[in-house]
Amino acid sequence: MKVSCLQENLAKGLSIVGRAVASRSTLPVLSNVLMKTDNGQLKLSANNFELGINCWVGAKIDTEGAITVPARLLSEFVNSLPPERIDMELDEQTQTLNLRCARVESNIKGIDADEFPNVAGVSEDDIIIKLEPESLRLMIKQVVFAAATDESRPVFTGVLVRFNGDTLTMAAADGFRLSVKATALNQSASQVVEDHSEVSSLIIPGRALTELSRVSGDQEQPIELVVTPSRRQVIFRMQDVELVSQLIEGDFPDYTRIIPKGHTTRSVLETASFLKAVRISHLFARDSANIVKLEISPSGDELMNGRVTLVATSAELGDNVSDMDASIDGEAVEVAFNAKYLIDVLSIVDTPQFILETSSPSSPGVFRPVGDDGFTHVIMPMHIQGR
Amino acid sequence: MIRKILHLDLDAFFCAVEEQRDPSLVGQPFAVGGRPDQRGVVASCSYPARTFGIHSAMPMARAVRLCPQLIVVPSRHQAYSTVSKQVMAQLHSMTPLVEQLSIDEAFLDVTDLPDPAEQLARQLQVTILDKLALPNSLGVATNKLVAKIANNVGKASALKGRTPNAITVVPAGHEAAFLAPLPVSELWGVGPKTAESLVRLGLHTIGDIARQPEKDLVRRFGKHGLDLARRAKGIDDRPVETEHEAKSISQETTFAQDVTDREKLRITLRRQSEQVGRRMRKAELFGSTVRLKIRWADFTTLTRQVTLTQPTQLDNEIYEHVLHLFDTVWPDGKRVRLIGVGVSNFDAPARQLELWGNNNEADQRLQDTLDTLRDRFGNQAIRRGNQLKKRRS
Repeated sequence: MKVSCLQENLAKGLSIVGRAVASRSTLPVLSNVLMKTDNGQLKLSANNFELGINCWVGAKIDTEGAITVPARLLSEFVNSLPPERIDMELDEQTQTLNLRCARVESNIKGIDADEFPNVAGVSEDDIIIKLEPESLRLMIKQVVFAAATDESRPVFTGVLVRFNGDTLTMAAADGFRLSVKATALNQSASQVVEDHSEVSSLIIPGRALTELSRVSGDQEQPIELVVTPSRRQVIFRMQDVELVSQLIEGDFPDYTRIIPKGHTTRSVLETASFLKAVRISHLFARDSANIVKLEISPSGDELMNGRVTLVATSAELGDNVSDMDASIDGEAVEVAFNAKYLIDVLSIVDTPQFILETSSPSSPGVFRPVGDDGFTHVIMPMHIQGR
Repeated sequence: MIRKILHLDLDAFFCAVEEQRDPSLVGQPFAVGGRPDQRGVVASCSYPARTFGIHSAMPMARAVRLCPQLIVVPSRHQAYSTVSKQVMAQLHSMTPLVEQLSIDEAFLDVTDLPDPAEQLARQLQVTILDKLALPNSLGVATNKLVAKIANNVGKASALKGRTPNAITVVPAGHEAAFLAPLPVSELWGVGPKTAESLVRLGLHTIGDIARQPEKDLVRRFGKHGLDLARRAKGIDDRPVETEHEAKSISQETTFAQDVTDREKLRITLRRQSEQVGRRMRKAELFGSTVRLKIRWADFTTLTRQVTLTQPTQLDNEIYEHVLHLFDTVWPDGKRVRLIGVGVSNFDAPARQLELWGNNNEADQRLQDTLDTLRDRFGNQAIRRGNQLKKRRS
């Protein structure tokens, strides 16, 4: 293999595949990145079995070939080089990659490319659904943070992706909170979904979607979601980048049942000032199981604003009370939430106002941005114990 | 300000309670505790028994060898606990500044009372003897350290075989002089190891320590050396702490004979979990660390713990986690000498409710009902079915 490419292009490609490099693996080759000539380009691949990323980099190919080299060393080395041309040549005999750039020359010892696990490509039987990158990234942002990070219930580390008619819905929950976002599919996508009812629901690891969001940052063309016939994995195909993720097997619990149908109190709040107040409460709450109590008080007069008071108390540090005006319909109620959960959801609400629907201290609170109908977030309250 | 601190200790407390139940025991050598053939130990022994060299914590089998006519009385903790509460209530009627050290021991801070400390001590001794028929001894000093040592010394100097009923007073300014002739082991914080090191340095009495330059002690014993130097001079400014903040609540059982039967171990853990849970609910505590302690027949001891996502005080949750720990450490059939359950890491009494889950509401209601029944009708009034031994028909 004899290849040349620009330092910037290689550095960028390596940073895209870098997140799929296994950090601690019993299989040493998984800590390497695969470099392979492919149709006049240089293809970079990393794979940790859960997630694989392929990235194509513009290059001048003199001789075809492939090699794997330690990902961390290669990317740190390339990042240190000046923005000039890098010439790479593989010594097949010793499986050593020679790199030259400006007045720097290195030889990096590699592992035979044949040992690298094959990342399945796209085949004819695959079902391809085209998604708008902008709206896909927004969905991921609004949903994926609610997924669990601990592995005690694997389905909760995933995001439920559901196609239904002309609607795509994503839902994630960690057992205590739920985020749901629905958006309309374009016509070609809903046609594909109609023809293939078997793809109606998938559970994609939250981590894979976070990476997708990261690597698709400058994509403008539709992102192709490719579902393989075996349905064990999905491929997100973009311009020059492909992300392959294993699917999580299992049944995602029926989340529609836990979104309350009604409420006794509905408050309309200013997103920014509420978030600010919660952040202040959190300074005290974080010492006391993150509990922030919301006292929701309607004014009792249609023309007057009601009030929402946030109370956080720490036995050791002291306490904090903030209040703000809100337009409130319904009964007065007190309900306590984990401040961190409030901060998480309010940080991704893009609209100036949001609605909070509550019923009792032990029933779920429902958060809906005003003007973003597709988004629903549910947080279970904290129950203050003791008699 | 010079303080007035009393240390009260009931004389052979368990024995005194047993003598009230069975007056024929009065004047006899007897010991309260476990049976000699089941590795029982002496929990308390009467003063006549002490003349044979018997003391508490001694294996009962050895006590019986020392005194073959020894009467062994099984202990009744419920009864002692009830009487202890009456004693503590009596102390509280004198001052709210009471620090209970154990079932039969407490400090009182009587600085604010107008009467001289010795007179207050006398008054307390007589009241407890009259109202509750419990002999007791007091130490009187300007701090907790000296009051307690004074009481130990006073009780030890009572006539052999007789109930001490002692009052020992160390006047203000005489603390160091009082302590000086006593052996180093009398000092708090001096265990057998430290005592040995002190003796090797030629320090036999508390006075020997007091005469040492502080620096030398710090060099030899670190931070602990500083405490030693101050205590040896009779200096102790710790307050009488009325609220004892528990760091953990635990319950353990040493079996009369090593146990290899999982079912028996499981039932024991179940019972212990219930005892721990009940104490937590009474103290209004929620803990997020559940600990298993297990001692094998060869005395090696291990503990395993798990941190819960949510703090709890429910019997079922404690039991579930401790049983899981047990199943991971217990090789089937291994002989167990001691087993115990503990909960620590106390946290705010809040529970994050779950989206999918019963949120323990039913469990909490059942627990409340069980507690109410036991409060009214006693601990044995109601038990869980799986707490009963399985019987095959």
